[in-house]
Amino acid sequence: MQRLLFELRQRLAAPSRNPRMAVVLGRLLGAAFLLCFGTGLYSHFLQEPLPWMHFPTRPVGLYQLTQGVHIVTGIVCFPLITAKLYAVFPELFQSPPIRGLKHALERASIALFVAASLVEITIGLLNTYQWYQLFPFSFRQTHFTFSFVIIGSLAIHIGIKLPIIAKYWKKKDSYDENGDVVPLDRVTYSGEDAGVFEPVAGELQPVGGVTGRVFRWIDRTPEPPKPQASRRAFLATVGIAAAAIVTFTAGQSFRILDSTNILGPRKNGIGPNSLPVNRTAEAAKVLESAASANWNLAVTNGTVSKVFTRADLLALPQYEVQLPIACVEGWSQMASWKGPRLSDLVDAVGGDAGATIRATSLEQKSLYAVSSVPPEYARDELTLVALELNGDELDLDHGYPARLIAPGRPGVLQTKWLSSLEVLA
Amino acid sequence: MTEAVTRPQDFSPAIRRWRVALIIVGIGLLALGGWVLLTDVKPQQYIGILTWFLGALIIHDGIIAPIVFAIGLGMRRASSRIPFVVLVIVQGALVTIALLVAIVVPEILKKSIGTGNETLLPLDYARNLSIVVVALLALAVVLIGIVLRRGAKRSKAHFATLSDR
Repeated sequence: MQRLLFELRQRLAAPSRNPRMAVVLGRLLGAAFLLCFGTGLYSHFLQEPLPWMHFPTRPVGLYQLTQGVHIVTGIVCFPLITAKLYAVFPELFQSPPIRGLKHALERASIALFVAASLVEITIGLLNTYQWYQLFPFSFRQTHFTFSFVIIGSLAIHIGIKLPIIAKYWKKKDSYDENGDVVPLDRVTYSGEDAGVFEPVAGELQPVGGVTGRVFRWIDRTPEPPKPQASRRAFLATVGIAAAAIVTFTAGQSFRILDSTNILGPRKNGIGPNSLPVNRTAEAAKVLESAASANWNLAVTNGTVSKVFTRADLLALPQYEVQLPIACVEGWSQMASWKGPRLSDLVDAVGGDAGATIRATSLEQKSLYAVSSVPPEYARDELTLVALELNGDELDLDHGYPARLIAPGRPGVLQTKWLSSLEVLA
Repeated sequence: MTEAVTRPQDFSPAIRRWRVALIIVGIGLLALGGWVLLTDVKPQQYIGILTWFLGALIIHDGIIAPIVFAIGLGMRRASSRIPFVVLVIVQGALVTIALLVAIVVPEILKKSIGTGNETLLPLDYARNLSIVVVALLALAVVLIGIVLRRGAKRSKAHFATLSDR
């Protein structure tokens, strides 16, 4: 069995499978993972801030950018991780499969790393299609948990492979004069660490039976004659695949690619008020309450309370602002909003400038029925209780009669179908 | 100058220090992930997460890896009869198409099942994917045509001294 694995590993050798390629792809994938992790944490803490946290409200498109990057980078991980796994494919068949406890732990950490990464990007992608029925778990918590598992096992992986990474980091150290990759086992150090170590080569005996015949057949079929061209072609393929995926999907997050957005799950301009919708009034079960003629917005500050009908809100000074709606699922679109400032409403009940505001929706029993608006957003002159969107009355699916809109926050916190605002002490 | 024999475990002290630091950070993050799993995720969801986790390993190691291996063998066998450049272009086109299909097919399926509202998955993804696939195949054919014609011209100029292997 061990010899079989060893043979299999040798036979899998291809010009594009070498440690230098693993390092090149590993750098890209590692950068992509860290970018996803950082932007993901930012999105997480915007929604669940720690008490000491303060967030910037400018540029207004900050969250649009970070979450767009999160999703685009996540989707680019598909070609990158495929290529990386392909480049190190023979490692799967290494022999002996386990060489003691340390090696077992190393391989277990790789299994953890690979499986967690594959699950993470897959559930992330499916979440952008809102295919929740496939998840026998809550997406958010699982995606969050796995992010630590991935970055943790990434650090361990880099630690274990550090000598290889260091050796193949630079192109000039990776290839010999013929353009062939320097073998991993015969490391030649220059400078202080000068020296060479030879591989402990195992003599291979011919294998009999079916596997022997298979391997002999593979041996007779020649390898591609041009290793250098083969490596370049491999990298070009990865680049083209990544470029194709970005070109055809990233327009949902970045307007500049809108014209080529033919595979993205959202499309700019499609929806009521020319804007996509995440959660409809029907799904939120507010069809009746939101359309009711008796609707009003209660604004309270301790014992002081004021009630505003929609006509009252329209009678207040109206402001028009350009702010993007940016969803955690990565799509975003700029829109024009009109309504009174949140700070004017808070001032009307004598709210403190440093106070956090709790916005409550007509929607019941939902994670997003209530949102907390920290003072940096509540006092911002761009933060509105929006009544109009893109020049028309706010659509029921966009939060009619009134919704919150603030700069640089995820869409789930831009509470729709407002029923009350409370100034928290 | 004496040539020292370096064994894999004899790395420079700097590398060894970084190594230890990275592994400690890694274990710390894994522990944090474990803590989030224990505190944030409901225990009744563990089995579902484990299923997905093992599923990913089985699908990757047990299904995709052997298929890729078989395709690689087929390609290598074909390499004796088909010019290398042609093989490279075909490979590139197939890999790009496979990745696009893997990403878009779930989208097509989800749209056919039905979405929460009509602004989610609003496009005709089956049609658009077909267009992209046909365009990629056409591009591959054109590229192969160009490469083969150039090759033929060159062979002529050199009186077939540079024959393809």
